[in-house]
Amino acid sequence: MHETVFVETGSMGRIAYARIAPNEDLVRSVEKICLREGFKNAFIRGALGSLVDACLTRQDDSWQQIKGPAVEIVSIAGEVRQQEDGTLKAHLSGVVADPEGHVYGGVFVAGFNPICMTFEVTLEEWLPQTTA
Amino acid sequence: MTPQSAHPRPDSPRTLIHPGPFDPVRLRSMQAHRARHVRLQLQPGQTLFDALVKPLYAMGIRNASTTILGGVFTRLKYCVAPIDPSGQAVAAYTQPIEGGHSSIIFGNATLGKQADGTPLVHCHAVIRTAAGLIQGGHLLAGHCTVASEPISVLVTSLDGIELRVTYDAETNVSMFKPTKALQHA
Repeated sequence: MHETVFVETGSMGRIAYARIAPNEDLVRSVEKICLREGFKNAFIRGALGSLVDACLTRQDDSWQQIKGPAVEIVSIAGEVRQQEDGTLKAHLSGVVADPEGHVYGGVFVAGFNPICMTFEVTLEEWLPQTTA
Repeated sequence: MTPQSAHPRPDSPRTLIHPGPFDPVRLRSMQAHRARHVRLQLQPGQTLFDALVKPLYAMGIRNASTTILGGVFTRLKYCVAPIDPSGQAVAAYTQPIEGGHSSIIFGNATLGKQADGTPLVHCHAVIRTAAGLIQGGHLLAGHCTVASEPISVLVTSLDGIELRVTYDAETNVSMFKPTKALQHA
């Protein structure tokens, strides 16, 4: 008996660096960078910047808002995936620090994380091996 | 997400007014023509800045995104970014805060260039300070010294992109702006 695990094989493709301007939404902007670069699937390879205020989800689906400005993004990991309907969706989670350096963590809620000064991100395209 | 969430909607995002003119370009993105992946070991006794920059420059890497996989520093300084009391920008870094003998739990650092062309490391990290506090902020890479154990860093080079600190009129601060690199890698 063995566990059923879904494994996607593939390879890394192109790489892009982007900067997001103030007041733009973190999650949706990462999706738009993929649109601009033609990436259908991508991983975040490194990113840092600041938010006006942060909005993170907890595991019970409740929200937590961390008031800035500025709330610094001090750790972030995530991916962008093309959905079954063809749209792109970013899933980003990380740790933020408030203006006193206190830390909070969770999943960034799309539409509720406006950039404060700037956000810089390196995205690496993921090319899943297509099954014939 | 359940269609009928028991939780109220969060407050609407706030749109801050920056001191300078609105820049119509909201996303600046650029593809590297090549990305090299390097595993680097930050060497004991060196500053975070030197331990990152020197080996990467020796390999011809001038622009990169890096992930610091965690490790101990004999000394470490960081800043946080509250509202700028002078009003020159919406937020500004504080004076350096002494973390003391600290560890980085996780960090990301971008290697690019100052306006004058000298190397610059922009690093944000989660740290455990000497006092045992878990804090987050902007590390001063020249003021963090690697302790006795090397620290692993995953480097993704951005060949063909030049990240140079450029004055940004909208925010009235200087920050990395990606441009096409000239000739050299």
